[in-house]
Amino acid sequence: MVKVVLKDVTKKFGRVVAVNKVSLEVEGGELFTILGPSGCGKTTTLRIVAGFEFPDEGRVMFDDVDVTFRKPYERGTAMVFQNYALWPHMTVFDNIAYGLKVKKLPKSEVRERVMGVIELVGLKGLEDRYPLQLSGGQQQRVALARALVVEPKVLLLDEPLSNLDAKLRVKMREEIRRLQKRLGITTIYVTHDQEEAMSLSDRIAIMNDGKVVQVGHPREIYMSPGNLFVATFIGRSTALMGRVVEVSGENVKLDVGDGVVIKGRLARGYELRTNDEAIAIMRPEDFDLDKPKAEANELSGIVDLTMFIGAFNQVKIRLSNQSFKAYLDPDIEVRSGTEMTVYIRVDDVIIFPRRGWEEIEFEAVA
Amino acid sequence: MGLLRKLRFYLDSAMVVQLLIPVVFFGLFLIVPLAAVAVFPLVPGISGTTYSPLLLFQDPSMIRFTSTRPSVIIRQVVMGGENLTLIAVFGPNYGAIPNSLINSVVVTLGASIFGLVIAFVMARYDFPGKMFFRVLAMVPLLLTPFINAFVVRKMFMYDGIISYFIHRILHLSYIIYVDYLAGVMIAQVMTFWPIVYLNVYASMVQIDPSLEEQAENLGAKGFRLFRTVTLPLSLPGLAAGAAVVFIFSLEDLGAPIAFREFDMISFKIFSGLRAAITGEVPPYVASLSLLLLALAMVAFLAIKKYVSLRQYAMVVRGGRWFPRVRKPGVIGAVLIYALILPAMLFTAFPQIGVFMYSLAERWTKTFPEGLTLRYFSEMVSNPVLFTSIKNSLIYAGSALAIIVLLGISTAYVVARGRIPGLGILDVIATSPIAIPGLAIATGYFLVFSRAPFKGTLLDPFTSGPWLLLILAYAIRRSPFTIRAVYAGLQQIHEALEESAMNLGASRWRTLATIVIPLLGLSILGGALVSFVYSMAETSVSVTLGGIESSQRPITYSMYEYLYSGYVEGPNLVAVMAVFIISIQLTVIVVTNFILKQRYAFIGV
Repeated sequence: MVKVVLKDVTKKFGRVVAVNKVSLEVEGGELFTILGPSGCGKTTTLRIVAGFEFPDEGRVMFDDVDVTFRKPYERGTAMVFQNYALWPHMTVFDNIAYGLKVKKLPKSEVRERVMGVIELVGLKGLEDRYPLQLSGGQQQRVALARALVVEPKVLLLDEPLSNLDAKLRVKMREEIRRLQKRLGITTIYVTHDQEEAMSLSDRIAIMNDGKVVQVGHPREIYMSPGNLFVATFIGRSTALMGRVVEVSGENVKLDVGDGVVIKGRLARGYELRTNDEAIAIMRPEDFDLDKPKAEANELSGIVDLTMFIGAFNQVKIRLSNQSFKAYLDPDIEVRSGTEMTVYIRVDDVIIFPRRGWEEIEFEAVA
Repeated sequence: MGLLRKLRFYLDSAMVVQLLIPVVFFGLFLIVPLAAVAVFPLVPGISGTTYSPLLLFQDPSMIRFTSTRPSVIIRQVVMGGENLTLIAVFGPNYGAIPNSLINSVVVTLGASIFGLVIAFVMARYDFPGKMFFRVLAMVPLLLTPFINAFVVRKMFMYDGIISYFIHRILHLSYIIYVDYLAGVMIAQVMTFWPIVYLNVYASMVQIDPSLEEQAENLGAKGFRLFRTVTLPLSLPGLAAGAAVVFIFSLEDLGAPIAFREFDMISFKIFSGLRAAITGEVPPYVASLSLLLLALAMVAFLAIKKYVSLRQYAMVVRGGRWFPRVRKPGVIGAVLIYALILPAMLFTAFPQIGVFMYSLAERWTKTFPEGLTLRYFSEMVSNPVLFTSIKNSLIYAGSALAIIVLLGISTAYVVARGRIPGLGILDVIATSPIAIPGLAIATGYFLVFSRAPFKGTLLDPFTSGPWLLLILAYAIRRSPFTIRAVYAGLQQIHEALEESAMNLGASRWRTLATIVIPLLGLSILGGALVSFVYSMAETSVSVTLGGIESSQRPITYSMYEYLYSGYVEGPNLVAVMAVFIISIQLTVIVVTNFILKQRYAFIGV
């Protein structure tokens, strides 16, 4: 199982810095996801690992071997492309067998291994079809099989599920996870879909604007986002601005206007002092109508807007001159214009310094 | 440092070879000969004397300030007992350089106006018989080397079809006779206007209809709409077509020979090079070739620059649109059927005439007379003609092999090689469309008949010109294939190649197992077109091609049989033209209906 290391990798296209001093360590056998909005440099990073691009600065290592300038065909990686890149002039069998034929394996072994992997990904009986005769999901499986059959050192997946419909995506996601664990191949997975990333990764690196902004386990990233970008990019979030009135260790009290004070914990790695401008980030699904047992904030305001989504009721509550979003029990009817009180645990409120807020453009925050 | 790292990363053995093929080939057989054309006039000359290009301007056959003949002569004549007014149109003669320039400017203007009108009608109107119009517009592009202009001259003799129409059908007491420069102009406009038409038409059908609809919505209509929106958006096509016509007109030999306009740049180079077959290249040939080359290159580069500047990025909507086509009104219909249709029939007549000629016993007066197939059997039994046809098939076939290799390499390197400076290779590889064949012929004469090539296979005087002909065909006709392959490569997603390399296939293997199989049809389509145009190549064929009689190509024999005074010569040449046309039609059918590609007609 190969460990993949990127050291200070930088890649420019003209004046655009696509990848900016990225350092990553992907452990052997791990499913590591690079997650970020489009244009963040995640695909370029993957292509540098595959050898289709080379970095302007920095190194790529497979275990202790420097592969920065190795050609793609000397690296032993196998990539699944976003558009699958199946060769239209070859059958399913020939597509999958290609990598083995290149390695000059005996015919009988090629056949055995190809049929094995066809069985593994559930394509039995389709080996003589051409790619254009397959459905999107089947094509996806062929692409996956073609990569797996060569037993690559590193498996690279570039948004492999983005062309599938929603239900199939969930199914393939589970299948990829299952296969990867079973085969134990070091895998780098690139996606912009956070749910996909959360559900199948051992660890996630979040990229924005060419830089890695946080690396961690899915739970860690969700629970303790390292900065405002991650906090707002991952999951849903809602924010309240205010001024710090008290700091004691991890605990911060924030005046969000009209004397309403919210208690929360300071985001890791940041410092705040009394009177600093700060921002409280909360998950809408963390609000409750009943007072929880743990220490909680009690917020009362006028309901501005209510939308019935199905699984929950999305309620916008006005608090002095700002408002926040809460997902509440759908069984309870809420009317606009009425006053209501909701609770959120102090541990679920993360306080960041306000600096940098304006640069975040996600409408997920309201 | 950065560049070196980049090169080390992107250049593998396959890429190096793919890069070397076009660089060496274009370098040796295009750049070096053209450089010779540029350099020789400036250094001590071919016969030991220095012939400065400036001397051209002191030679009265090259340039003079008074015309040697009246442009038009009107005279009363008696013909068949009738008193008629003969209008003889000759055009002026100010010497080769002004003649060629005047001619090319007039022809470019004429072809542009005619092509623009037809393109507009075809792109914006729908009317019964439109398919026939579309086919008719292609007829002048059927390849009829030399015989085309020969037939045009027949039409414009005092007893030709035009005079017959005016005198016998319209019953006017006029007859018309066109010769010399005026004839060259008419013959060239008739042949070249479809080039403008095709380019403008392509531009017009690409205009998003909403752009015109928006202008109409704001109150523009009719000519104002055309002038302010349609025409400006079609300019890239118009400019490209006009530039090609300008260059083709400059280097054309068929019309000047047919209309006896010997004071033209192309004819001077041609006759100079033919003199060299027996003796020395006259000193002015290289200078004239340089001038011809310079004029063509200016037109080519200007258009490259202009078209890329004018490449309006149109905001493309999702989904496909249907070009705006409407029914013409009454006046429009009258114009289409009463004016445009006869005009198009007129320009298609030379090709139609060639067919009639090939089946006619003789054509000495107004119309062809007598039906016979005997010239077809004579073409096959005549050993001289048969040999030249066989030679041309061999030359064009060999050139084809080179073109395929060159086409794949060049297109692949330009499309996939991420090496700085490849844009220059792209320009060089497309330039042969714009480079006059006579300049290439001159360059080959200058370079390959002297050291270090003297006495080698390349030397036309010891080995005959066969190898040079193959090379010249390959160079001149490669752009058709290169562009077809390039277009094919753009249809192939690069990920298809990357996934092969990712699975351990070297670039060679990727080329052989992925790229070439997927490109198959593009290569075949482009190669077929290259083959046809190689068969019909004239400039190099009638100059270098005459050095060794057993190695003559078909177009050399066509020239010779047409103008050597042999009575049945023109009939046989018409048969040979029909032979070339039938190959061309086969290729058109194969590319359009079997390969489902657009047959690549000329355009920058």
